[in-house]
Amino acid sequence: MPDLPPPLQTLLNNPQAHLEGTDVRIDLSLGRTLLNEVLAARPADTPVEELFLDPENDNTVNLHLEVKAPVIGLVKRRITFRPGGPVVFPSQPWLHLEITDGFRFMDKPIIKLMQGQIAEKLPRGIELTSDHLRLHVPALLTAAGYQKLVPMIKHLQLHSEANCLVIELHLVA
Amino acid sequence: MHPVQKHLFDTNFQDLEGTRIEGTIALSDELINLGIMDFLSGLKSTPTPPASKKNSTAPAAAPDPKALLAKLDIEVLQVSAKEGKILLNIKAGI
Repeated sequence: MPDLPPPLQTLLNNPQAHLEGTDVRIDLSLGRTLLNEVLAARPADTPVEELFLDPENDNTVNLHLEVKAPVIGLVKRRITFRPGGPVVFPSQPWLHLEITDGFRFMDKPIIKLMQGQIAEKLPRGIELTSDHLRLHVPALLTAAGYQKLVPMIKHLQLHSEANCLVIELHLVA
Repeated sequence: MHPVQKHLFDTNFQDLEGTRIEGTIALSDELINLGIMDFLSGLKSTPTPPASKKNSTAPAAAPDPKALLAKLDIEVLQVSAKEGKILLNIKAGI
């Protein structure tokens, strides 16, 4: 974790104690340019040549992807995701994104065939099949060092509007 | 500075437009006091820029507070204190 200002570090060390009594709803609207700045800040040592997001107003998000794959070379796809229902803690920790379009003729059988290898390569908490992408929010927050924030998140849901992705959050401490 | 943070500062948080917040944020006294100390030490350690650089076109290291405040639409902002906490009742958006 990067060096944080002392108040923020103190808060993250024990959010329940320092935020006790908090009950707040946040709709965090992330513009397309900002989302792509986040994606551009990914580590350099990945086979991903190009990666950018394009949120649409019908609650779908297009992911433009260009990857250097072994043997077959450069693969370009535009994969469309539709965000699913809310993450509700502690009963429903998965953020579900249905893949509605974008795979070509042989993509799905190849993904199914390589399912085990894909699972091994992905970080813990990320699940990719030919039909969906699922993110286990507590596992991802824990891996990032923010595990103490997990009990505060009562509701988390994604939806897209034209050129922005909205994260709906309900935090209680 | 992280490139995403730099982008937010350079664009005065333009890419967060549409963001809304509503509810109560409770902050412990310890956190408030740490924040005050951090703010004061930041003031002490920030060098005054030389007069010749005042019109520089280089991007600011931190956002312009006036430009940032102009973007905020605050409907409710009430502060109260209770048993070692500061309670901030807020309804606002960007």
